[in-house]
Amino acid sequence: MTKSIIKQFSFILLLTGSFNAGAEDARQLIKNAIDHFRGLSSYSEVSMVIHRPDWERTLDMKIWTRGLDRSLVRITAPVKDRGNGSLLIDNDMWTYAPKINRIIKIPASMANQSWMGSDFSNNDVARADDLIEKYNHRILQTQQQQDIKIYVIESIPHDDAPVVWGKEVITVREDYILLRHEFFDQDNQLVKYLVADDIKQFGDKKLATVERMQKVGVENEWTEFRLNHIKFNIELGEHAFSLSNLRNPRF
Amino acid sequence: MIHTASLLIPLAWRNLWRNRRRTFVILFAISLGVWAMIFTSAFLRGMSQQILDDTIYNLTGHIQIHAKQYLDDPVIDHRFSLIDDALFDSLNHPAIKQISARVRVPAVVASEQDSTGVTLFGIDPENEGDISFLQSSIIAGRYLDTAADPGVVIGKKLAERLETGLGKRIVVMSQDKNNEIVDRGVRIVGIFDSQMDGLESSCIFMGLQTSESLLKIKNDVSEVAIILHDSAQLEMITRQLQQENPHLDIQSWKQLEPLALVITELYDDFHIVWHLIVFLAMGFGIVNTLLMAVFERTREFGLFQSLGMKPGFILAQVWIESIFLIVLGLVLGNLTGWLSVLATGDGIDVSAFAQGMEMVNLSNVIPFVIIQDDLLLANLVVIILGMLTSLYPAWHASRLVPADAITRV
Repeated sequence: MTKSIIKQFSFILLLTGSFNAGAEDARQLIKNAIDHFRGLSSYSEVSMVIHRPDWERTLDMKIWTRGLDRSLVRITAPVKDRGNGSLLIDNDMWTYAPKINRIIKIPASMANQSWMGSDFSNNDVARADDLIEKYNHRILQTQQQQDIKIYVIESIPHDDAPVVWGKEVITVREDYILLRHEFFDQDNQLVKYLVADDIKQFGDKKLATVERMQKVGVENEWTEFRLNHIKFNIELGEHAFSLSNLRNPRF
Repeated sequence: MIHTASLLIPLAWRNLWRNRRRTFVILFAISLGVWAMIFTSAFLRGMSQQILDDTIYNLTGHIQIHAKQYLDDPVIDHRFSLIDDALFDSLNHPAIKQISARVRVPAVVASEQDSTGVTLFGIDPENEGDISFLQSSIIAGRYLDTAADPGVVIGKKLAERLETGLGKRIVVMSQDKNNEIVDRGVRIVGIFDSQMDGLESSCIFMGLQTSESLLKIKNDVSEVAIILHDSAQLEMITRQLQQENPHLDIQSWKQLEPLALVITELYDDFHIVWHLIVFLAMGFGIVNTLLMAVFERTREFGLFQSLGMKPGFILAQVWIESIFLIVLGLVLGNLTGWLSVLATGDGIDVSAFAQGMEMVNLSNVIPFVIIQDDLLLANLVVIILGMLTSLYPAWHASRLVPADAITRV
């Protein structure tokens, strides 16, 4: 009697253990992919292209990041928008508009609105790390492309996760370069997806230099990030991510 | 006096039936008027009671308690503790039938497609039962089970707007007590279809404890709604609660919903206006008919006077005649009014105009309600004004000069 219970128990332990290991792998992959892109800290120069059927505009920006929870974005061109910035500390986000000389904290009500007119929402920008903690991850399949292994990971948000998506499917290379990130609604319909392309070497790292976010059903509308320059593991003090630095750039 | 009356009353009664057709026509006119008064005031009364019920039983309650400043700025900072002995004691009052404590704060809900601002209600589903429409207007899924129910109930219009539905998850965002943004995914367990558009697209309902844990405000609430056993005690209980809890903002529905109050008062006043309009039409009929009767009988009145009847008696005779008419008309009118209200049963269904009715926050079925005061008012208006107006033909009859009257053809 006791024996059988112990047996059963150890069997369950074994099962959950192995199940966790699989989930852990998927989760680790995603964490590494995010870390890979961000590094411990980074400084990058990026162009954001917002494309619409009858217009297109390009914003050049500088981005500083430290860990997963600090980032600062500052627009450098066009001149009209120069100086606009966003600061991210943990889950809070502020924007600064030099024209009105005001810092605005993005309230909850605006979290789902578009970030600087792009196809990214404020939440997409602010909540990248949620993707690790608040989802169950599972490797759907692995593919081999030339010498590189590619993992397709399905991430299903926890029931109480502040995520509207039904699931997200992330395609990531074994060297942690994210290739594709798909967002599905709760009826399993694809709503929007991010595609990464044009992988280049930056120092000792390989990175995708073009990332395009596109909504399904409006093929002529997308937002693209083009990475022009990036430097990892630079010295960034706490003052870099402060409201005063958001308003008055010191470097 | 009795002798006079026993002479004049049969005389008047018989005169009434000398021209049956005319009497029936005027009886018809009077009872139609009285019927219109009763039926219309029953309709108005039903409408105003419905507005009241809709106001009071749609989350408002008879009395509400808030933290000071909540009404000016309904945010999470303006909340109060339910574990408050003084408050607890004063709510333990025999006149209070039910109390419902709620969290009520602005929030944002988001689905895959859209996001919108709403009011987040954290309710205890058991206590909320009678106070709000919610339980009875669930059209899909279920009502909240307990105060710790992890699901939400949202309106049909909101579900359409967010392009979401039963069983799906939405994200609720609000501010916690430290003004930090908090958000959480919640599953939609029920959809309600209120007859009022506003509520349907702007409210979501969550368990009280669930919302308190989301906002990190254990045992604090934004609002307590109170239902009384007897609405006549409204003012008294409100004042008593105010005196016992000076640190809280305690108001009756009359202060909270001034629009509903004004509308119901307007409806009440309109009864009188309507009665007067109907009576005006009816009064001309009465005067005209009686004048005709008097003209027809000019010779007769002349003869009466020649035989020695005093003008006062003639006046009394015609007057009694018209009183008979009015009383008979009233009896018929009251009867038909009462019968037709009975015939409408629960009320008339105006769902053909449902959209318009929803716009003015009225339900689709308007009940007819007869109350004693309305009946009394209608009857008094007709009797008093009727007696006054019929004095004119009676006076006219008594003013005839016998010699002229008797010789007139």
